Amino acid sequence: MTHRSPLLTLAAVAIFFAAMLTADFLVHPSAGSATAGAPSTTPPSPISSASPAATPTQPASTPATSRPITSPAASATKRAYQDQFPHKVVYAGRSEDGHLAIAVAVLGDRAAAYICDGRSREAWLRGTVDGDSLRLTSRQGYRLTAELDDGRLEGEVRGDGRHWKFEIRPAEKPAGLYRAKGSTTTVGWIRLADGSVVGVATGADGTSEAAPPLGSDDEAQVDGQTVQATPVNGDDEI
Amino acid sequence: MATAESAATPPTAQPTRIGPVLVAMSIGAVVSIGLGLFGRLHHPTGVAINLAGFSSGLAVKTWLTTAAFLFAIVQLVTGMAIFGRIPLKGAWLGPVHRWSGRVAVLLVTPVAVHCLYALGFADFSTRALIHSILGCLFFGAFVCKMLVLTRDDAPGWVLPVLGGLVFSLLAALFATAAVWFFVYRGFTF
Repeated sequence: MTHRSPLLTLAAVAIFFAAMLTADFLVHPSAGSATAGAPSTTPPSPISSASPAATPTQPASTPATSRPITSPAASATKRAYQDQFPHKVVYAGRSEDGHLAIAVAVLGDRAAAYICDGRSREAWLRGTVDGDSLRLTSRQGYRLTAELDDGRLEGEVRGDGRHWKFEIRPAEKPAGLYRAKGSTTTVGWIRLADGSVVGVATGADGTSEAAPPLGSDDEAQVDGQTVQATPVNGDDEI
Repeated sequence: MATAESAATPPTAQPTRIGPVLVAMSIGAVVSIGLGLFGRLHHPTGVAINLAGFSSGLAVKTWLTTAAFLFAIVQLVTGMAIFGRIPLKGAWLGPVHRWSGRVAVLLVTPVAVHCLYALGFADFSTRALIHSILGCLFFGAFVCKMLVLTRDDAPGWVLPVLGGLVFSLLAALFATAAVWFFVYRGFTF
């Protein structure tokens, strides 16, 4: 008897694990369809031959011990958390009028953003994540507010007496937000989904100009030196 | 390990065999690698099924892990008593050890599923990378220990080592996630 109980424990855990994972696949299907075949391989058990057969058909019938944890609570709140930021993500795109390039990086509950027009206007903004919305500000007084809408980031930038609306999408590398520092100059680049790069460089005296070209190896010439641009994360000090 | 051996070996005349232990370790390794691969290949959704009453998915996980860690301490104490390392005796030790373990692993299972499904195998910081690796190892070690428990003929040092490993991994997982969460977010629910 004693010798069978560890196997029962193991099977219960495997079934519980597989049931939660199956429920996740049903409630929050993954965006990347490349891994759609994954669920069949996921129950972590060469041991519990019972679990693959038991779970896909009856995700709710987990062992008695697990029931209070899964079903009632999960179904009650699944909608409330549907619009949540991925833990780490960068959104990039242009404002509706095409004037600004906008990139917003999120990591956990912190966000960093960069806006620029590729000629002279630029601002680095920092802020926080609150549920499905973001609020960021820059030292010069730019404000960016946005919220998640079906995976896209929708919002507006206000500052300098103007405002720009935007709706931007998650950026897949190499698209995203980059930053580099020379001896006196700070440069920001936004690499857009179509591969184009928009950036502005600001020197120690506060004057801004179009950024130097950003190579495909993320290197650029700043203050007469070759520097490496680094991707900006939501929690970076900018 | 040699110190554990003397006190740990149950009074059996049976010869011990290492073969089944190696098989259990291999299966545990397969589980760990499988979890890691899934976490890496599956595109993290950022969301997963959540529990009511908490401010966020991360808060739920933090509290489940904290509760599991408390049960794990019970595990450590009763486990050491079973092998005579601390002077506690009684018929209750075995059942308490078994059930605290079952509760602990049931508490961390939804946490692990959320980690794997919503966040994936992460390497954006040293903390996240260590946590991801240890998370995969934990379930492999757990599977290995459950399998070894079914055998009478395992060498006496195997169970204490595996039990200690499972406990250490859970403690490290707790430190790299829940403790981190409390430090950065405050003591929130």
